[in-house]
This record gives sequence, C-alpha cells and structure tokens, in this order.
Amino acid sequence: MTKLTILPLLMVTMTAVLPAAATAQSAESVPEPVIPAQVDRRDVHIPKIKANDVEIGAFVGILGVQDFGAKSSYGLRLGYHVTEDFFVEGTYARSKVSDASYRRLGIPIFSTEEVPLTYYNLSVGFNLFPGEVFVGSDWAMTSAVYLIGGVGNVNFNKENHTAYNFGIGIRVLPVDWFSVRFEMRDHMFTSDLLGKNELKHNFEMTLGAGAYF
Amino acid sequence: MGTPAGVARWCFWALVALVHPAWAAEANERVLVADPYLELRTGPGRGYPIFDIAERGERVEILMRHTDWFKVRTPRGKEGWVSRAQMEATLTEAGEKRTFRDVLFDDYLARRMEFGFAFGTLRHDPLLSAYAGYRLHDNFVAELTIAQSAGDFSTTSLYYASLVSQPFPEARWSPFFALGAGRFANVPKSTLVSAIETKGGLANAAIGLRYYVTRQFFLRVEAKRHVALINYNSADHYNELSAGAAFFF
Repeated sequence: MTKLTILPLLMVTMTAVLPAAATAQSAESVPEPVIPAQVDRRDVHIPKIKANDVEIGAFVGILGVQDFGAKSSYGLRLGYHVTEDFFVEGTYARSKVSDASYRRLGIPIFSTEEVPLTYYNLSVGFNLFPGEVFVGSDWAMTSAVYLIGGVGNVNFNKENHTAYNFGIGIRVLPVDWFSVRFEMRDHMFTSDLLGKNELKHNFEMTLGAGAYF
Repeated sequence: MGTPAGVARWCFWALVALVHPAWAAEANERVLVADPYLELRTGPGRGYPIFDIAERGERVEILMRHTDWFKVRTPRGKEGWVSRAQMEATLTEAGEKRTFRDVLFDDYLARRMEFGFAFGTLRHDPLLSAYAGYRLHDNFVAELTIAQSAGDFSTTSLYYASLVSQPFPEARWSPFFALGAGRFANVPKSTLVSAIETKGGLANAAIGLRYYVTRQFFLRVEAKRHVALINYNSADHYNELSAGAAFFF
C-alpha cells in the first residue's frame, strides 16, 4: 500500500470504493494437502517457457519518391506477433532524395542537390497466406504472405508529412528464430513542394532479415 | 547430405552455431499428456498439417512458445507445434492438481509491461502516438507517451508521462482516466514566412475505454484535453481524439 500513498488523492478516492484484487498472491500460494500423510516434497514453480514473439530486424531496399527518382534505403524494424494472424511493427528508415533532374533544367527545388529523407511508421500486419516453402526434398521452412499497412511520418527537405503506407510481403523462416523478408510498400503522403498540394505515391521494395526473441 | 539443400542447411547451421552460442542444454519444462493425445503440427498455425501425436501418459518437453503455439518434443524425439487449447489440458510436473492452463494464466497475470500506439486528431491535424506502460498496481498504470502531429502548417511533437487509473481492471470493457505532464514543441513549415518555433510545458487529462480482445491484446479509444503552457501569461487548449491498439509483454 505504500505505492498508493504517494499517488494523487484523486486517484486514491477513485479506487477506494472498489474491491482490491488479490490475484497477485495466487501464484505463490500452494493448496493445503487434504491427506497430510503424503509428505513427498514437490517443487512447485512457474515454468519459464521461452517465447519468441518479438521480431527485431534490418532491411535494405530501393525507395522511389514521386517526382524525384529512386535511391537506396535502409532501416530497422521492431515487431510483435500478437496472434498467429496479426503482428504490429514499427519501422525507422533513411534514404536520400535528389533534385538533379530539376537542376539540369535550372530550377533547383532543394538547398543542395541531395537531401536526407527519414521515415518512421507504425503498422499492423495480417498473415494472409501462411504456409511452407520447400528447398530440395528434406528441408521445409514455415512462411507467410502478409498484408501490412499503417501510419507514419516522412521527413525530407526539413518538412514532415503524415504518411499512410500499405504493402504486401513474404516472410520465410529457415529456423524458428530467424526470418527473411521481401516486401513491397507504397508510402503515401500529400505534398505541396511542386506548387500544388497533391497525394504522392512512393514505392519501396525491401529485402530484410530478422531475429525473434 | 550431398544435395544442394543439405549443403545449404549445413552452412546455415554453421552460421547459427557462430552467432547463437546461447543454446546450451537448459532444462526445459515437461508436461504430462492427460487428453487421449496431443496433435503435433509442422508449423505454428491452424492450417499446418498434423504429422505426429503424443499419447496420454507421455511426457513432452516444451521448447518454446510462438503466439498461442507451443513447440514440443515427444519422448520419441519428434518436434512439432501444439495449440494452446491442447496444451492447457496437460498436467505440469508439479502435480495432478495443477494444469498447464493455470500456469499460463499466472503467466498472463504476471505481465506488467504494456506497449501500444494510436492514431487520431489534434486540432484537426493527424496525430500519431506510441506509449509504453508499467502496471504499478491492479488499478494504476504509469505511461510514457511520445506523439507527433504533422499538419499542413506545422509539426507538433509531444512528450509526456501520465498516470492512468483503471477502476475496473478485470472488465472486458474497461474505462480509464489519466493525468499527464510533459513538454511540447511546435515547428512551423519552413516555407511559411515569419514562422517561429514554440516550446513549452504540457499538461493533459483524458478519459478513455479499453476493450480486451484477448488476455494480451486490447484496443483503446480516448479523448484528451491538452493545456500548452507557453509562458506565465498564456496557455492554449487543444483537444485530441485517438484510437489504437496495445498489448502486454
């Protein structure tokens, strides 16, 4: 109860009327034996089962920014597999945008020819077609074709753009804790950089690898 | 193992041995099969084929868990994936009175960390936020939130800590109240003339609702009132509406 005393009075009064749950104690308590003569000692413990629902990965790819050509991109991913069907994932990536073709025409858009681009997003994935991939006659790897989509932010030329992304990918697991992924995604945002505010489609193709923890 | 696939596999395992030395022989949990049999599938999903079974009275070793699937090894050395529903009916080594189901439930109750993200609006601009929470008590969660709103004219970033009170933590539809404090920064678009960056303190209050989809995964909606403390004389109010998903570790 010492924790409670330091909390604001408002919060305390909110919970005071409610039954205090004592569920945390049930894990440690052992039921009394009905027949005391049975004195064999039993070790009761909560098993530690290794879970591998968290996926950490990196990828490289090609990102095409509408009106500005394509450049290589690279990034990191952190995902969590909630059920066999759904996963959630955060991505952070870097690339570059070049206005070289505009400069050739004498109308530079950016302050320098190449400006950095960074993006992040939070997405939800759905394992559409889970299955297996066979290599030769004696090696089967679990796999899934997944749909992924989410919301994020794309920053380049010192401007932030709220971006929506949608894509499809395939994930193959050579072993239970390692994944290889190939993905296509469209990052969509509105931009007024070329004089008119309009929706831009920016396609990215990536190849990545990840480890499960 | 002369096939290309075999060579590829051995190369891969050599790599595994190099980068993953933590695979020392650790005592895995064993459970007793109490139902007529356990079905072993080739992968962690409902569509994978059943290729073997473990019979009643056999002890199987639990190697790992992936979402709601458990990889087990039978006494005959077969390894396959078993659904949680089937695992729940097995008995632990601790004794007949304690099923694996109880153990799993304890595991869920013991989870105190949560993580989530949300999407919504702040002053009609889109807002993206992510938070990490720690359950201090059955009714209280401490949360750290970062949020960013990239609007047509400016980008606003918010960082704050909040204390969330959940009066009915056991309910499937669980309302909550939150009070928070932190910092904000507003950076106008560089194309705008005479735009100045604003920074300051932030306080907020929220009401919301959680809906537990599973024991581990929930959806939440909330309405939040932010007070931006720009200087001693002025404070601005902004309303946020957001919806998102979160899960327990």
